[in-house]
Amino acid sequence: MDPAALIPTPDTIPVAWGWFQFLLMLTFVLHLLLMNAMLGGAIIALTTHLVKPEGSPVICRQMAHKLTYLIAFAVNFGVAPLLFLQVLYGQFFYTSTILMARHWLTIIALLILAYYSAYIYHLKYKALGAGRVRVLWLVVTPLLVIGFLFSNNMTLMLNPEAWQQYFSQANGTLLNLNEPTLLPRYLHFVVASVAIGGLFIALLNHFSRHENNAGAERRIATGLNWFCGATLVQLGAGTMFFLSLPAHIRQLFLGGETLPTTLLLLGVITALAAIVLGFRRKIWATVTATITVVTLMALVRDLVRRAYLAPYFKPADLVVAPQTQYGLLALFFVLLVITIGIVIYLLRLAATATEEAQS
Amino acid sequence: MNYPIWQLDFAGGGLLIAAIAVFHVYISHFAIGGGLFLVLTEMKGYREESPAILDYVKRHARFFMLLTLVLGGMTGVAIWFTIGLLTPTATSTLIHNFVFGWAIEWLFFAGEIVALFVYYNTFGRISRRDHLRVGWLYFLFAWLSLFVINGIIGFMLTPGDWLTTHNFWDGFYNPSFWPALALRTCLALMLAGLFGFVTATTIKDPDLREKMVRYCALWLLAPFYFFLASAYWYQQVLPQSLFDFIFHRAPELAPYIKTFLIVSPILFSGGLLLAIRLPAKIQKTMAAAMLILGIIYMGSFEFIREGGRKPYIIYNHTYSNSIAKSDVAQVRADGVLRSARWIENRTLTDDNRLAAGREVYNTLCLSCHSIGGPMNDILPRLAKLTPFSLNAKLQGMGRADTYMPPFAGDNQDRQALTAFLLEGLRDKTGTPTPASSTLAADATAPYPFDIEKSEYVLLAWADYGLHEISDADHLFGLLPSANRLNAQLIRRGELPELIGQGVKLSFKGATDSHLPVGTLSKHREDILYTAVLPELSPYPQAGGYQPYPVLTVEARDEESGELLAAVKTVMPVASELGCKNCHGGDWRVDGTTGLSDATGRDILAAHDRLSRTDLLARADNGQPVACSQCHSDPRADAPGDLARLNLSAAIHGFHGPFVDDMEGAAACHLCHATDPNGASQSFRGIHHEIGLDCTNCHGNISDHAISLLLAEEEAGKPEAARLIKELVADNSENNEKIHPRQPWLNEPDCLTCHEDFAPPATESAFNQWTTTRGELYRNRTDNSGMIRCAACHNGPHAIYPTNNPLAADRDNLIPRQYQNTPYPVGADKNCRVCHTIDMEDEMHHPNSLRMMRNRR
Repeated sequence: MDPAALIPTPDTIPVAWGWFQFLLMLTFVLHLLLMNAMLGGAIIALTTHLVKPEGSPVICRQMAHKLTYLIAFAVNFGVAPLLFLQVLYGQFFYTSTILMARHWLTIIALLILAYYSAYIYHLKYKALGAGRVRVLWLVVTPLLVIGFLFSNNMTLMLNPEAWQQYFSQANGTLLNLNEPTLLPRYLHFVVASVAIGGLFIALLNHFSRHENNAGAERRIATGLNWFCGATLVQLGAGTMFFLSLPAHIRQLFLGGETLPTTLLLLGVITALAAIVLGFRRKIWATVTATITVVTLMALVRDLVRRAYLAPYFKPADLVVAPQTQYGLLALFFVLLVITIGIVIYLLRLAATATEEAQS
Repeated sequence: MNYPIWQLDFAGGGLLIAAIAVFHVYISHFAIGGGLFLVLTEMKGYREESPAILDYVKRHARFFMLLTLVLGGMTGVAIWFTIGLLTPTATSTLIHNFVFGWAIEWLFFAGEIVALFVYYNTFGRISRRDHLRVGWLYFLFAWLSLFVINGIIGFMLTPGDWLTTHNFWDGFYNPSFWPALALRTCLALMLAGLFGFVTATTIKDPDLREKMVRYCALWLLAPFYFFLASAYWYQQVLPQSLFDFIFHRAPELAPYIKTFLIVSPILFSGGLLLAIRLPAKIQKTMAAAMLILGIIYMGSFEFIREGGRKPYIIYNHTYSNSIAKSDVAQVRADGVLRSARWIENRTLTDDNRLAAGREVYNTLCLSCHSIGGPMNDILPRLAKLTPFSLNAKLQGMGRADTYMPPFAGDNQDRQALTAFLLEGLRDKTGTPTPASSTLAADATAPYPFDIEKSEYVLLAWADYGLHEISDADHLFGLLPSANRLNAQLIRRGELPELIGQGVKLSFKGATDSHLPVGTLSKHREDILYTAVLPELSPYPQAGGYQPYPVLTVEARDEESGELLAAVKTVMPVASELGCKNCHGGDWRVDGTTGLSDATGRDILAAHDRLSRTDLLARADNGQPVACSQCHSDPRADAPGDLARLNLSAAIHGFHGPFVDDMEGAAACHLCHATDPNGASQSFRGIHHEIGLDCTNCHGNISDHAISLLLAEEEAGKPEAARLIKELVADNSENNEKIHPRQPWLNEPDCLTCHEDFAPPATESAFNQWTTTRGELYRNRTDNSGMIRCAACHNGPHAIYPTNNPLAADRDNLIPRQYQNTPYPVGADKNCRVCHTIDMEDEMHHPNSLRMMRNRR
């Protein structure tokens, strides 16, 4: 059977595809940063507990406080790119999701488990004592599984040839385990999470360094060490991932085409620069470099996706509906600005909050 | 058709979405009202300078956050995930048309989270004014989320002008937008009170507890009136067809409407009761009970709304099985197996029937019907089905049965689906209806007649040559059981005389003593003797089935009692109503005839379900209802309920769409005692012998039903118009050309084909109806105005020469007696039967002095 025949007909889109592409990239980068900080931060906290079973490392206490927020925002900022992904690639995404439906729905249960465990970790931090590790396992494990399931889906949607397994397994239990890039890709994302988790911890302590200078500086160093260490590992993991890609796709990034080659090269150079900056404890420069790397790599990832789908589809093929919705697009941007304004107002209010209750 | 289908069995039919949505909807409405609750209660705390109240607010805020952010937020994502899995096509439609709605909702959701975190974390740590402002911002964001989602959800039920314009705003501000927003806002406020009980009842200080519980009760009770008012408003904006469907027709929605109506006062009284000072323990239990009641309440509302748009997922646009309304005809032409994307078995073979059927099931049925699960389980629905009735079911879907979408498959798909359902799932091959008559004729021979000496000719016949009775009267009264026996007595002579006085006519069973005995009385106008035989039964005492009992009719001199003449005639009575073909059950008697209890009960259950009646319960209470109590029936002289369809229009109109794929009279034979392979074979006159069938006079099932419904439509019954829409005229070029008719009054007219009593020029008498009772064949007389047509030709559907299935001449006893032929009395120029001499004038009707055309 021709795999192309299985690809559903897409719906029309209300504005030119470039707008969705822009919104997808923008929100996906934000999601990646938050998700990485969440997963990486939790992994680092767990590792810290495991390394120091006694006592209550400050890093863990800090993560206990922040994890619930990170989960909330990682999910929230996951909604937007998933929405725009459905607009541009719905026919691929819905299909692969259905093939692994059962696994896909368990994400929700896992998320709720991780989320409530994070709240327990946060609210009962003191009372838990040695139980913290167990609770944190209940945060980290589900999150790792969720990541693995996402990797499965994001690769399965690119591979219509693998879809034919549906005919022998229609109960939504497929995974994309035969995909050679699956594990390297997953590893790539987990390692990146640890790096960003480290950076998040460094940043957190950078903001609170006035309280306990010596400790904070130490924790900034610890965070940056995690960042640099993980990014060094990433040089290997990333290369592995790159090498697992099909040759013709790899070739695009090795001089085959200008844009992919340039983006990847810039990404790798910036990543190396970030490691150097991290070791030099230049926190803001490291953060800037990292956001740049994540952005470049998100673009690279998008080009990989397009290369996979090139035989079947490109977003430019999507037909714009006769009833366009540019007015709504504008409304969205206006509301985006207003919401950002209100959020800044709220965060500034929160920043002025005193430690102790006022009368 | 476009996407693969997640092959769920137990969890099919929308179980997942229902299970998740009920929680999400409950919590997310609380997330809105609860936000306002927090701010206003905090203000109350400030106003009363009550640290205890503020403490409560803080505690409640934590409960609120843990519930709404985690469970509320994640189940919201879960709904999105789930609809994408179960109905990707509709989800894609919603995403692509409303992407900016969703994106804006996402912004509000983000703002909501930030505001709630700040609110929860800055209690007492920023100025009161600022803190309240944060609370207000939270509520604003939460309510705006509702505002956006409400537009999109409402669109699915009432897409309004969007269907034609495809304009975002037409879909968003759809007809039900504002009332739904009002209703949901009220509900959100009420839920704030309901969830408030949960924390308020745990306050340790009894005074404060009482105060706060009362305060929560106020939250529940105060919006109640506005809630009910907006529910009414909501109801009023629904398009008429949707309104009728939800509140009058859709059987599956009735229990939810009932639940909603029952829970309303309970919830209200519960709120009042909680306002009374009670021990903490009782209050806690009550708070929990109220919470459960609340979810039932909310759930029933959402089920009514979701169910209300059945069989669509986007009303009037996309069916529940993801096939666009506009695509049905194309899909039906192309076939599901042949044209759907995710199909393995493109053509049906003996080996892949079940697998292919499963694929059809997945594509067309699974979205609503689980296999063995709690949602619309298909298995019990298969119990009564045969391949035939399943086919009828599929044929009627989306038409007579508007709760389901039209069956979008082609014949191959039907075969495959039938195999999968009846062999694959039920593991039972359908057995064809057993059809054969088991009764032999009881011996009957005509009385002697001496053409030279006999003084009298007695003619007798039944009003209804095809007379059907229902033998499940203890369940419901379908048809009047009475047939009428008619007789005319002629004194022979050159100028014969019709006798109307001085004689006494009586009847009794010719062979079987179970038949009624009695006398005939003189008709008030014509020279005719009649007797109504209500207790006529096709079941002889010896057992078996006898649809053609023979009566002896005698005419005696009133004074002397001298026998003047005697004849034998058949009084037809058939109980072979084929309801079981679709309603399941077996024949009642001998595996050949009769309406069994199982069949009858299924009919009542179906009627109760579809028309929200309680006929089965009444029958079980020993008070069976006659159909004609509501559905007027001229045959039974029952006026019925004038707002409803008459019985014939209702029955043919409703059932027509299920069987209109059948050729010619096959659809008639399903229900009537006319099946050529059946036990009765009641259509047995000359018209049958020369190859005509029911449709020549009555039209096929569609035309027949339309003709009946048109008259009802003219009488202003909207139900008729709805049913007509589902029927496609066949014999006539279009519905408008069919002439409306009243049952039992506007009947086919013999003279349509036999113009001026001549041999027929056409074979169709359909669409030319008699206009008065006098024009009805059974009431009509010859040109002299004296002799009834049926006296010489026999009752309708059994016109001489008749070929009775039991014995060829069983119905021809009278012509056999007088002229020893099966032909109409006086045929072959046999004027001497009455006149004693040959005649030259065609006094009775033109063309009467002829030799029989259709000779045996």
